[in-house]
Amino acid sequence: MNPSTVRASQSAIWLNKVKTFFSKPHNVILLLMGIVLTFSTVAPIIAIIEDTFKIHPGTIDAHLTGQASGYTVVNYIDLFTSRLAKTNLWTPLLNTVLLAVGTCVVSILFGGIFAFLITRTNLAWRKYLSSIFIFPYIMPQWTLAVVWQNLFNSNAVTGTSNGLLAATLGVNMPLWWCKGLFPSLVVLGLHYAPFAYILIGGIFRNMDANLEEAATILDTPKWKIMCKITLPMVKPAILSTILLVFGSSMGSYPVPHYLGLTTLSTKYVSMNSKFTGEASILAIIMMIFGVAIMLLNQLSLTSRKSYTTVTGKSGQISKINLGKAGKYIIALILVVVTFFTSIFPIVSFAFETFLPNPGDYSFLYTGDTSNLTTKWWTTDENVSENGMYGQKGILHNETIWRAFRGTIWVSVCCALLAGTIGTLIGYAVSKNRRSKWANYVNSVAFLPYLMPSIAVGVAFFILFSNERINLFNTYTILILVGTIKYIPFASRSSLNSMLQLSGEIEEAAIIQDIPWIKRMTRIIIPIQKSSIISGYLLPFMTCLRELSLFMLLCVQGFILSTTLDYFDEMGLYAFSSGINLILIITILVCNALVNKVTGASLDKGIGG
Amino acid sequence: MKKITALFLAAAMTLGLAACGNSGTPAAPSSAPSQSQPAASSTTPDPAPAPAPENLSEVQKIIQQAEGMTLEELAQKAIEESNGKMFYGVGNSSRGKSALPLFIDYLKSIDSSYNMDFEWQQPKNNKIFDQLTADSLKDTGTFAMTLIQDGNQIESKMVQTGILDTFVPKEWAEANGVTADSYSGYLALQTLNKVFMYNNTGSKSYDNCWDFVAEGEHGLFMDIDSEIVGKNFLYMLTEDTYAGWLKDAFNALSADEQAYFQPTINAMKSEAEDLGLGADGAYALAWIKLWVESYNAQTDDGPICNTLVDKSATDQFGLLVYSKLRSVEESSSVSVNNINVAAYDDGYTGIGGYGYCHYLFVTDNSPLPWTACAFIAYMTETVDGFSAWGKDMGGYSSNPTVAEGTEAQFGHSKGGMAEDGTTVEFEAKNDRGYDWWTTEGQLVLEDPGYCASVSFTVGSWIEMLTKYAG
Repeated sequence: MNPSTVRASQSAIWLNKVKTFFSKPHNVILLLMGIVLTFSTVAPIIAIIEDTFKIHPGTIDAHLTGQASGYTVVNYIDLFTSRLAKTNLWTPLLNTVLLAVGTCVVSILFGGIFAFLITRTNLAWRKYLSSIFIFPYIMPQWTLAVVWQNLFNSNAVTGTSNGLLAATLGVNMPLWWCKGLFPSLVVLGLHYAPFAYILIGGIFRNMDANLEEAATILDTPKWKIMCKITLPMVKPAILSTILLVFGSSMGSYPVPHYLGLTTLSTKYVSMNSKFTGEASILAIIMMIFGVAIMLLNQLSLTSRKSYTTVTGKSGQISKINLGKAGKYIIALILVVVTFFTSIFPIVSFAFETFLPNPGDYSFLYTGDTSNLTTKWWTTDENVSENGMYGQKGILHNETIWRAFRGTIWVSVCCALLAGTIGTLIGYAVSKNRRSKWANYVNSVAFLPYLMPSIAVGVAFFILFSNERINLFNTYTILILVGTIKYIPFASRSSLNSMLQLSGEIEEAAIIQDIPWIKRMTRIIIPIQKSSIISGYLLPFMTCLRELSLFMLLCVQGFILSTTLDYFDEMGLYAFSSGINLILIITILVCNALVNKVTGASLDKGIGG
Repeated sequence: MKKITALFLAAAMTLGLAACGNSGTPAAPSSAPSQSQPAASSTTPDPAPAPAPENLSEVQKIIQQAEGMTLEELAQKAIEESNGKMFYGVGNSSRGKSALPLFIDYLKSIDSSYNMDFEWQQPKNNKIFDQLTADSLKDTGTFAMTLIQDGNQIESKMVQTGILDTFVPKEWAEANGVTADSYSGYLALQTLNKVFMYNNTGSKSYDNCWDFVAEGEHGLFMDIDSEIVGKNFLYMLTEDTYAGWLKDAFNALSADEQAYFQPTINAMKSEAEDLGLGADGAYALAWIKLWVESYNAQTDDGPICNTLVDKSATDQFGLLVYSKLRSVEESSSVSVNNINVAAYDDGYTGIGGYGYCHYLFVTDNSPLPWTACAFIAYMTETVDGFSAWGKDMGGYSSNPTVAEGTEAQFGHSKGGMAEDGTTVEFEAKNDRGYDWWTTEGQLVLEDPGYCASVSFTVGSWIEMLTKYAG
C-alpha cells in the first residue's frame, strides 16, 4: 500500500493560519491597537486638513470667496502669498524653528553636563542634586516664564512695574534678556533638561568605561576622547532627547505667549478668530514637522543599533575624580544653579501668595509685616473690595478645588489608559519585532507625541465638534486626547524593558499552559515593574500640568492647568502661585508614594 | 513661486479630501448700516429682515411670545419648563455664574418647590464662537443662552448665520422708550469702559489723547489679537464721529506737538481715501498707526492695573478696564492714588477711552428657551439681576431704570470717598457714570455693524502694521 498524503484545502490552511494568528495574544493586541490608533491619529489629521479648505463665516475665506459656506483653496493662497505672509507665516515659522532648536541645545547641554557630572564623577551631594534637577519638569512650563518676568522685568526696560531684581537691587536687565527668543528658549530648555538628564544619564551610568580608559592609556587627549568616544556613545540619547524636545517645544503655547515671542502656536491662537482656515494650516505645518522628525528618527535607527553593544551594562564604571575641593566647588555651583531653577520658583510661588497685591514687593524693602497678607488663602466670601477680584481665597475657592478634582480624574484616567495600552503595545511589538505591522503600530502610537500639543488639541476639537458628536468641555475628550498623546511614554518604556526580557521566560510558562493574563501579571509585569510603573507615572505627572494640549478643548476652571493659566493671564499671581504649589505637592506626594510602594521613581535613581 | 507652492500644497491636500464639495451658498452681506439706540445702549446693526412667521424657528416663535410678557409671566413659564432640569449658559463674563443663583432664588420666591442646576462656562481665546457654532449643529443645543462680547464677530459669525436670536424683554423696552418690534439692535446687558490711566508719581501728565501716541510713549494695552474688542476700538476710530474727535484733539495741540504728528497724518491721507474713510479718516489712521506701533502688549488688564498702581511705574500709562481699580489693595508701594484717570483731569482733550457691550442672546436651538428669556429679562430688568455686575464700578446697565437703581444701591459715583462721604480718598474711583463718559469723557462706543463693515478693509490695513516688540 502506498502511503497516501492527506492534503488540506487552501481554505482550511488559511483558517488554521488565522486561528494560529489569533491564538497569540500579542497578535490580537497589535491588530486591535493598529486599527484604533490609526483612527485616533489619522482621523483628527483629516479633520484639520478638511478645515483648511472649509469656508468659515465671518472670516477671511468667506470675505475673499464671497461665500458663507463650501470649500476653497483660498486659505492656502492667502497664507502663502498675501502681504501678510511674512507676519502670519514666515516670521512665526522661523521663530518656532529657532525656539525648538535652541531649546534642544539648552536642554541637551544643561541636562547632559549635569548627567555627566552626576554619573561619571565623584561629585558631592549627588542624590540631592539628582532629585532637585527634575523639578522644572514637574512645574507647568509657563510658571518658569512668569517667574522670569517677576524676576527680570523693570520699568526702565520693559515698561512695566519693577520685578524683584529691579525693585530690590536696582538692576535693569536688557530687553533681549527679558522678552523674546532668548528667555523663551532658556525657560523651555530648563523645563526639558530633565529629559536629557534622564536619557543621557541612563547611558552614562551603564556605559562601558573600558573604551575611554584604553584611549587614556594610549595617551589620547581628553578632548579627543570626549569627541571620538564619549559623545558618539551618548549620541542615541541625544537623538532621543531631540526627538522628545523638538516637537514639545515647537507646540508650546504658554512660554512664548508670556515672553512675547511670536511662534506658530501663538499665531494659531491669535489668527483663529479672523483667519480660521489659515490658522489650521499653521497647525498642519506643525504636524508636518512632527512627522518629519519621526521619519528622521526611523532613518537614524540603523545607525543607532550599532551603539547598543556599548550601552549594555559593563560593571566597570570608573568615576572621574574632581579633586577634594573640586567635587564640592562644582557641587556648590550646581546647588546654586538648581536653587534658581527649582527652589527659587517654589519659594517665589509661596511668597507671592502672601503679597497684598500681585507683584507688590513692598515687604522686602520696608520690612513692614503689614505689607503681607493671608487673604489669598483664607478669604471665605466673594468680595471684590478686598483686592480679591471677586474670588474666594484658595482654601475656600470652589473653582480651584473643582478644577483640582477634574485634573486628578483626567490624569488618573489618562495614566491608567495610556499606561495599560502603552504597556500592551510595548509587549506586543517586542514579540513581533520583525513584523512591519508591529513597526507601523509602534510608529503610529508614537506619532501623537511628536506632534505639537496645540496642533493635536486643534485637530481633536475640530473632529469632535460636529452635529453628531460634540465633546467640547467634557472629561471624555480630555481623557481621549491625553491618552493618545501619552501612550508613547508607556509604549517606549515598556518596549525597552520587554526587549531586555528573554523569550524563554514566557515560553517556559507557555509550555506549562499558563494563561496569558497570568503570564503577564505573575511573570512579565513583576519583572519589569519599575519601567512599567514609569509608563503610568509619566502620563500622570505630565497630564497634571498640561496646558497646550487641553487649552482649546475646555473652558477655564475645568481643570487646574487652564485655571492656573487664567489666573496668570489675569495677573492674579497669588492664585496661580497657590495652584502651582498644590500641583507640585501633589506630584511629589504621588512620586514619593509610588517610590515607596514600588521602588519606581521619576529620576529612577540615576544619581543614586 | 510662492503661489505655485501654495497651489501645489493645496492640490496635494485636496487629494486627501474625498468629501469636499462646494455648496456655493452666498455669503450674507458683511455689513449693515447702524442705527441709533436707546439711551443706555451702544448702536448695533440692523438685523437681517425678520423672517415670515411661518419661517420662524421654534425658539424664535417662543421669543416672539416672550417679548409680550412681563418678567413675572416669563418666570412662570420658566418654572414650568426648567424645574428640576440643568441649565447651561456660556459667556465672556464669569459673573453669569453669580447671576444664575440669584435668578434661581427669584424663581423660588414665586414657587418654593422650584429648583434648577446650572453650569456657566467661560471659554477663552475666542473659543466661545467655535463652541456656539459647534453647538448650533445639534437639533437641540446644550446652551440655553449666551452673554457675549465683540459685536463684530457676533454680527458676522453668530447673527448672520442664524445661530443666535435676540430677545427684547418687554419692561426693558418700555424703560428705553421702545417696543420689541421697533427695536432693531442687539440686547446689551451693559456697557463696559476701558479708559486711559497713567501713573502720577512722576512729573509727566497727559492732557490730550495724542500724548498717548507721542514719541517714546508705550502704553500698556491688551494685545489686540488676544482681545478682539481692542481691535474693534481701533476700527471705531475711523468712523466719522470719532475721527472728528481725534481731529479736534489734534487741533488743540501746541504747534510743536502738531508738527510732530503732521507728517504721519499727511502720509495717511491717501490710505484713508483708499479705505473709503470720511474727511477726517487720516487723523484716525495716523493715531491707530502710532498706537499699534507703540503699545506694549500685555496678557490682560489685570497685570496692567498691577503695574500702573505701583509707585515704581513712574510715567507709565495704559488703556484698561476701569473696574480693575476696585480690587487694588493699598500698601507701601501700591495705591489707587498713584494713578490718574486721564479723562478726569482738568483740561484733558480728546477720547477718554472706549466702551463695548456684553450682549445677551438666546441660542436658536436653546433647550430651555423660556428659562433663557426669563433669565435675560431678570438680568436686564432688575437691580438684583444686574447686581453681579452692578456691584462694581465701570459697568453700566443698558436699562436706565436699573442703572439708576444700581447707582442708588452701590453709589459708584462716590466710590472713592472716605466713610464721611465728603472727603475724597481715591479720586480715580469716583465713577462719573455712563452719561458723563459718553459725552464729556468722549468714550468711543463699539458699533458692531460698523466694525463688521471695515473688518476686512481697515482691519487688514491694521494687520499690516508692525507691532511694537517691546
